Amino acid sequence: MSARRGLTVGETLRKHGVTRRGFVKFCTATVTAMALPPWLGAAMAAQLSSGQRPSVVYLSFQECTGCFESFIRSFSPTIESLIFDVISLDYDDTLMAASGDASESALATAMKEHFGEYILIVDGSIPTGASGACCTAGGRSAEDSLREAAKGARVILAVGTCSSFGGIPFADPNPTNAWPVSAIVGDKPIINVSGCPPIPEVITGTLLQYVTTGRIPDLDEHGRPLAFFGNSIHDRCYRRPFYDAGQFAKTFDDEGARNGWCLYELGCKGPTTYNACATLKWNGGTSFPIESGHGCLGCSEPNFWDKGSFYAAQSTAEWGRAGESSRKPLAEFAGAAIAAGAVLGAASAGTGRLRQHKHEKE
Amino acid sequence: MSRLSDIAIRLEGAIPLAAVPERRGGLGGGVAAILTELAARLERLSEDGSTALIDLRSLPMSATDRDELLDALGQGEVTATLDAQGTSTLRETAFAGIWWTVHRDRDNAITSELLEVSLVPQILAADPDDISPAAAALRRRIGAAVAAPHPSATSTA
Amino acid sequence: MDLLSFARGPALKIAMGVFFVGVFWRIVSFMLLRIRREYSRPRASLLRYVSIGLFATASRSWPHPQFIKRTGAGEALGYSYHMGLFAIILAYGPHIAFLGGLLGFTWPGLPSSVITGIAVVTATLFAGVLYRRVTSPVMRMISNFDDYFTWFITMLVLLTGLATSAHLGARYETLLAIHILSVDALLIWFPFGKLMHAFYIMPSRALNGAILARKGAAT
Repeated sequence: MSARRGLTVGETLRKHGVTRRGFVKFCTATVTAMALPPWLGAAMAAQLSSGQRPSVVYLSFQECTGCFESFIRSFSPTIESLIFDVISLDYDDTLMAASGDASESALATAMKEHFGEYILIVDGSIPTGASGACCTAGGRSAEDSLREAAKGARVILAVGTCSSFGGIPFADPNPTNAWPVSAIVGDKPIINVSGCPPIPEVITGTLLQYVTTGRIPDLDEHGRPLAFFGNSIHDRCYRRPFYDAGQFAKTFDDEGARNGWCLYELGCKGPTTYNACATLKWNGGTSFPIESGHGCLGCSEPNFWDKGSFYAAQSTAEWGRAGESSRKPLAEFAGAAIAAGAVLGAASAGTGRLRQHKHEKE
Repeated sequence: MSRLSDIAIRLEGAIPLAAVPERRGGLGGGVAAILTELAARLERLSEDGSTALIDLRSLPMSATDRDELLDALGQGEVTATLDAQGTSTLRETAFAGIWWTVHRDRDNAITSELLEVSLVPQILAADPDDISPAAAALRRRIGAAVAAPHPSATSTA
Repeated sequence: MDLLSFARGPALKIAMGVFFVGVFWRIVSFMLLRIRREYSRPRASLLRYVSIGLFATASRSWPHPQFIKRTGAGEALGYSYHMGLFAIILAYGPHIAFLGGLLGFTWPGLPSSVITGIAVVTATLFAGVLYRRVTSPVMRMISNFDDYFTWFITMLVLLTGLATSAHLGARYETLLAIHILSVDALLIWFPFGKLMHAFYIMPSRALNGAILARKGAAT
C-alpha cells in the first residue's frame, strides 16, 4: 500500500486506467448523490487529482462487518472502488494481507507517519464490560485501540449505527456495556454515518466530500451529514400518496400490499427515520426496503432496537413486550385499575351512605 | 385457502407505481419550470457566456415528466458518446446550447443525468494539460514510423 | 428514553391507570349511593317506570320544541363537534391501529383526507363553542375553570393531531409525542371534571325519568 505514496491522486488514477473524464464522471455522480451543485464535480475532480492521497486508517470493533462490506461492496465497481485510488487505505484488518505482528506494526507505522493527519474510520461499538475483554485485538481492548488511534486522527468517521449510536450491542440489556465512538472520544471532530449498514454511496460520498473540501459537512443534531440524513424516509417515499390517501396495507400479502400501498400499519418507521434510502436507494439504485414491500426498521436512528416492535404502527402504544400482543397485559392492567377504582368507589359510597343516613335521621 | 399459484408475481424494471396519479394533458408544472429556467440560462449564455449545469435527478420528476421534457427539448444535430468508466451519451437538443447528458457506469446504470447550458459540454473538451504530453507522444510515434516504415509503404501494389 | 417512547409507554400507562381508577371510582360510588326514599305510592309498575326512564334518555337528548329557538343552535353545535371527534378517533387509520393494538381487533376506516377535512371542521366548530361560551351571558355566568380547562385540553389534542398528520411545525416524532402526551393529559383529567358527563348523562336522564314516572309525572 505504501508503494503508491508519492503519486498524486490523478497519477494513481491514470495508472489504473481511469482517465480525467472518467474521474470527472465519478466526481459528478458523487456530488449529485450528495445533492450538491453538479458543477462541483469537475472542480472536485481537479482538486483531488492534483493532491496527494490522504491516509486512512480503518478500525473495526464490536461489529458484524456489514458496514465494511457496504463500504467495499459497490454494485457498480467502477464507482465506489475508485475511492481506493483517491485515498490511501493504510490499515484495515479485513482487507489487508498481513496479519498478526505484521499487521499491528503496519498500523503503528501508519499512525506515526501521518500523525495528526490521517482520517480514522471506525465501525462497531466499543464494549467496556469485563474491563474491555469483550473485544480485543492483538491483546489490546477496543477502547484502548480507539483512544490511541484517535490521538493522531484529523477527523473520525463513525460508520454504521454501532459506532454512531451503539447499535445492536447497545440494545437492552447491553451485556457488554457497549458505547458509541462519541462516548469514548471527546476531543476530535466526529462524523456519524449511521445505518445498519449505511448506503455505500453515503459512506464514500461523505468521505470524498471531506477529502475534497477538508471541512466537516453540515451535521444534524446526531452528528450525521445533512446532505444524506436531512430528510426522513417518509418525506421522500414514493408511497407517500397512499399514506396521504389513507390507503394502508394491513398484512404482508393482502390486496393493498400487492398494490404498493403505504406500510404504516405494518410498522414502517419511515416518518421518524432520517436517511437517504428513498432517494439513493440500495444496490446502485435498485430498490429499498419499502419498495420491496417491507416497512422501514429505522436502522439509522439511535436505539432503534428498543423503540418497540418493528411491526407495530408508530401510533400504537408501547405496551407489554415487543413482538407480543398487548391484549393480555392491557386486560390485566385495566382489570386491576378497574378493580381498584371499584373498591375506592365502594368505600366512597360507603361513607356517602353513612352521611345520607345521618342526614335522614335529622 | 390460498395456493402458491394465487400469489401474484410481477417483474418490475423501474419503480412499481401502481396508482400514482397520472397528470392530465398539457405540460406539467415541473416541466414548464425547468424549461423556464433553461430559457433564462440560455439568455445568460448569450449575454455573457456563463454556463450552467442542472442535475435532473435532484428535481422531483415522474417518468411522465421526464418523457415530456425529452419531447419538449427535441433532438439537435450532435450526439456524442463518451467511453470512460462506462458509456455516457451527450446529446444536443433542438435548442442550440442546451445539451442532455446521461452518464452511465460499466454496469450501464445511470450515475448522473444533467442538462448543460454551454457552447459545448465541458467534459468533451480535451484537458489543456494533456495537449503537450500528447504532442510529444505523437512526435515519438511519427519518429517510430519513420524509423521502421510500414510494409505497405514500400510495396508497389 | 426518547420523548415518543415515553409518551406512548410509561406516560400512557400512568394516564390509563388514572383514567380507569378514577372513572370507575366515580361510577361505582354514585351507583351505590342511595336514592332518596320515596314514600308515596308508585303511580306505575316497576317495569313501566324503568322503561319510561330509559326512553327519557332518548327523548331528553334533544330540546323540547318550545326551547329549540333558544337552545337549538347550541345543541346542534355540540352534537356536531361530538360526532366529528368520534369520527376522527374511530375512523382514522393510525387511531384504528392504536386502538386495535390495545383491543386485538380492527375495523375499516375512512380515507385520511376525509378525516383531515372533518378535523378542520370540528376544530372550527370547537372554536365556535368557546366563542359561544364567552359571549353568551348565561353561559358566562355558569362556566368555571372546569369548562375552560376541558375545552383547552380537548382543543390541544385536536390541534396537535392535525399538526402531526400534516407533519407541520417540527419533526414527526416530536409532533407525535406531543400529540400522545396531550391525550395522556386528557385521560388523566377525565375523571376529575365535567368530562365525566360521558358516563353520567345516560344514567342521569334514565334515573330522573324513572323517578318522575314513578310519581306519575312522566312527560
